[in-house]
Amino acid sequence: MTDHTRTIKEFIVKEFMPDVPVKQLETDYDLLAGGVIDSLGLLRAILWLEDTFQIPLHDAEITPETFRSVKAIDAFIEQMHHRVNAT
Amino acid sequence: MSDMTATSASVGTLPDQFIEQARRRPTAPALLWHDERISYGDLQEMVYGAHLYLEQLALPEEPVGILAKKSPQAISLILACMMDRRSILLPSVDLGSDTLQRLFQQAGCRQVFSLSTTSPRNLRCEVVDAAPAEDRSRPHPPGATEAELMLTTSGSTGIPKIVPLLLPEIDHFTDWAGARFNINDGTTVLSYAPLNFDLCLLDIWTTLKRGGCVALVDQDRATSARYLVDLLTTHKVHVVQAVPMLYRLLIDAAQDGNHHFESVLHVIVTGDSIPFCTLEALPGLFPRARFYNVYGSTETNDSFIHEIDISCDSARRRIPIGQPIEGVSALVVSSGGYVVEGPGMGELWVATPFQTRGYLTEVLNDSRFVSYRSEVGKRTYFRTGDIVQRHSDGAITLEGRTDSYVKVCGVRISTQAVEQVILEHDEVLEVAVVAVPDDIAGKRLHAVVRRNRAGQLNSLSLRRHCARSLDRAAIPSRIHIVTTPLPKTPTGKIDRQRSLFNQDEEIK
Repeated sequence: MTDHTRTIKEFIVKEFMPDVPVKQLETDYDLLAGGVIDSLGLLRAILWLEDTFQIPLHDAEITPETFRSVKAIDAFIEQMHHRVNAT
Repeated sequence: MSDMTATSASVGTLPDQFIEQARRRPTAPALLWHDERISYGDLQEMVYGAHLYLEQLALPEEPVGILAKKSPQAISLILACMMDRRSILLPSVDLGSDTLQRLFQQAGCRQVFSLSTTSPRNLRCEVVDAAPAEDRSRPHPPGATEAELMLTTSGSTGIPKIVPLLLPEIDHFTDWAGARFNINDGTTVLSYAPLNFDLCLLDIWTTLKRGGCVALVDQDRATSARYLVDLLTTHKVHVVQAVPMLYRLLIDAAQDGNHHFESVLHVIVTGDSIPFCTLEALPGLFPRARFYNVYGSTETNDSFIHEIDISCDSARRRIPIGQPIEGVSALVVSSGGYVVEGPGMGELWVATPFQTRGYLTEVLNDSRFVSYRSEVGKRTYFRTGDIVQRHSDGAITLEGRTDSYVKVCGVRISTQAVEQVILEHDEVLEVAVVAVPDDIAGKRLHAVVRRNRAGQLNSLSLRRHCARSLDRAAIPSRIHIVTTPLPKTPTGKIDRQRSLFNQDEEIK
């Protein structure tokens, strides 16, 4: 598990499913199909991403797919970091 | 008013049959109440006492209100009024004072009896003047004086509506129920529901009409599992009719004490959907009983019955409401207003031989009581507001309420259908799904779920379960898992708003 993965999992559990042990949340669990992240949850998750990873999201293309799973969020963070480092 | 021994009611009516039972078998038990055994002779004396009291008051021939919890005194007062052919409005004692006042005014009740708590043995009534001075000359609403009994709807969707029931309909129902569940002399029937609830037409009134014995549950102790277990054990009850809450309480208590109730032969589940883990535990609790799911409403009384086959119904994870009771006609009507023939979904319209002739407030009838000519002739159907699915094998299942639909992200969702899916999980005992306003989604669903204490269920595993059957928008945004019982309404149904409120308070 990467450091990001753990941080993402901890955020999701704390915000959306506080009764669930972090280890039970699999990285490929479909957060959208499970109704974990809805429209309001999406806004909270975007704010958290910006704050926690210092990612400028104003010009990034964010879709619900970005938050499909812990793995997808992790990939998005990696991709954004690459983009920042490349510029 | 007539003399109670020469009543104007026709032969075979509920009050007449009660008198006949008391004449033929005065020492037979009629009521069991705490440690008391009240025989038909004793109860007749009490009825006579109430009758004399009413005579002394020299009340005009108009409806009266009775505001009383279940007790032998309250039952004798109701019987005395029935003997006198005096209409009774019997609302829930738990309603707010303003609502009660409004109901009594609607029914034209200027006198309301409430039983004195200081003299439990002797009937004493406090007469409360319910009508303000300007209402005293107002005529009684049509239908109020002809009705034998006026019950009210639960009022969960607003002010309760008054449902007048006439003696022929009451007699038709009590005759059916007595024959269907074999209630006769020698039969003991548990009365769990509050006195104002329509279930008492079976528990209390059918039983007293047919010479059986009613084991009365004290409303103040209706959630005490130990009291209920003692009552069922001591009194050798044969018939139990109740909302799922009673069965859950008994199952939980039985796990601790290894109880089972051999005497019970008929178990009727009604009023709410029963969770599968409760259903599956019933045969262990009542090893000799047959089990029934009964569907009805205050307006129509019982209209469908399904004899539960535990293994078969568990396998399909859905308990049908069953087949229409004899004499009942049912239609499934699509949202476009067409009668659905064969398999399909729509609102359930029901016409029963036991139904009210309409709400007391006539203006409410237009949208709920509809005249329709079917192959059995022209009848008045009650629009139940329940959405049902008729399957290819003819079985009908409840899918939700016309008024339980909400829009979440533009998707029309029945909160009851969501509850039904959650209840299908093995570890779920109770659930309340409530829609709360949301700026973005329009509405969001919150669920409060009571799980088995021994279970492992959490919100993640429940989401996995929901995702298999529900649209994404229908999966509740917030899921609270609890192990304590959810709050109940006075009629034993889950109080959804209070369930959610309690969780919100806890979070604060």
